Amino acid sequence: MNPRAALTEAAFYFAAALIVGALAHFAIVLSIPLVATHDAYDRLSAIAPVDSTLLVPRAGPRERLLAYADPAVATALCFFDLKNGPVRVRAPLGRAAFASLSFHSRRGAVFYALTDRAATHGMMEALIATPKQLRALIAQDDEDNPSEDLRIASPTPRGFVLARIFSELPSLYAEAEAEAKSLSCAPESPAK
Amino acid sequence: MTTLLKAILAAVVGLTMGLWATRAMLADGGPFSSVTIGAWRVATKAGAIDADPYTRASLARSGEVPLALGEGLQLVARADDAGRPLDPRCVYRVGPHAPTARYWTLGVVDPKGFPIENPAGRYVLRSSEILRRAGGEFSIYVSGMAHAGNWLPVGAPGRFALVLRLYDSPLSATVGGIEKAAAPEISRESCV
Repeated sequence: MNPRAALTEAAFYFAAALIVGALAHFAIVLSIPLVATHDAYDRLSAIAPVDSTLLVPRAGPRERLLAYADPAVATALCFFDLKNGPVRVRAPLGRAAFASLSFHSRRGAVFYALTDRAATHGMMEALIATPKQLRALIAQDDEDNPSEDLRIASPTPRGFVLARIFSELPSLYAEAEAEAKSLSCAPESPAK
Repeated sequence: MTTLLKAILAAVVGLTMGLWATRAMLADGGPFSSVTIGAWRVATKAGAIDADPYTRASLARSGEVPLALGEGLQLVARADDAGRPLDPRCVYRVGPHAPTARYWTLGVVDPKGFPIENPAGRYVLRSSEILRRAGGEFSIYVSGMAHAGNWLPVGAPGRFALVLRLYDSPLSATVGGIEKAAAPEISRESCV
């Protein structure tokens, strides 16, 4: 084989290796969220049943549940499952200086968030529904007496809601925890 | 060498490169939709519904529940302003300003994002508990040895990172939304 042909062949195999590498790279990146067994959803669903509220242990050197969790923030969550209808989420506000709710799909993506600025009557409240349930709700709406619900479409039937309650001072953490625990997720009773 | 052997070799080399590149790219939140402000890095799409595949894969691997865009922002620094990796044998001064937010916290975490055991049992400092100078400016000292003023202890002998969490920040996390001047400086004071 002359040197030129050898070089061409080497270049061909190098290009092939690059293509294989690129394909492997994209396949892995896209599949990690689908196959990961230690994402936030798996870590949390292992300790909490649907519709019940779970207080997440305070972040610390020995509490290695969720990475990058803030030890100054009390966190509670509940899992929802929309197969039996929309789920109502309620988080009564206490004296905490900052409180928020975030809504996560099965794959962990945040699909909605609200803070205590959006609270009415001292309560952060929302109704989670599938897009189909949402259309049914809108169809049922009374035009003269519109619903005051904050309705949120969930991209997946299952997911979780996380409440974050900030403690202004270390001594206020216990109070923030109590406030976080008052989060509730309950299936909405069927329409009257 | 037969053609088959060469093809197998190309495939193995390609796969190895692909895996290595994937690992490297996901190590710090993914290469896209993250911005650098001084020594800090923000994964701008971590809490967004339209997070890119790299951001999603990175979150699935780390097992964190990111702050949603409406709740706040998280900034992570693994090096000081001069680009030197954070060293537990050094004293760092963080300040004098933080971006606008209702509250913020500054914490020390290990490379995986968990607080590090320290004798003081202090893992985070809140904007509402620190001492400030007359104009509202502050200095937080991050070091292994106790320090006068606002002291944030570093317990580990190994690498660590600083996490600044902004709650209810009006900053939009888009490129250019955060000015460099707004983020706290991280300056190395002395080392033992």
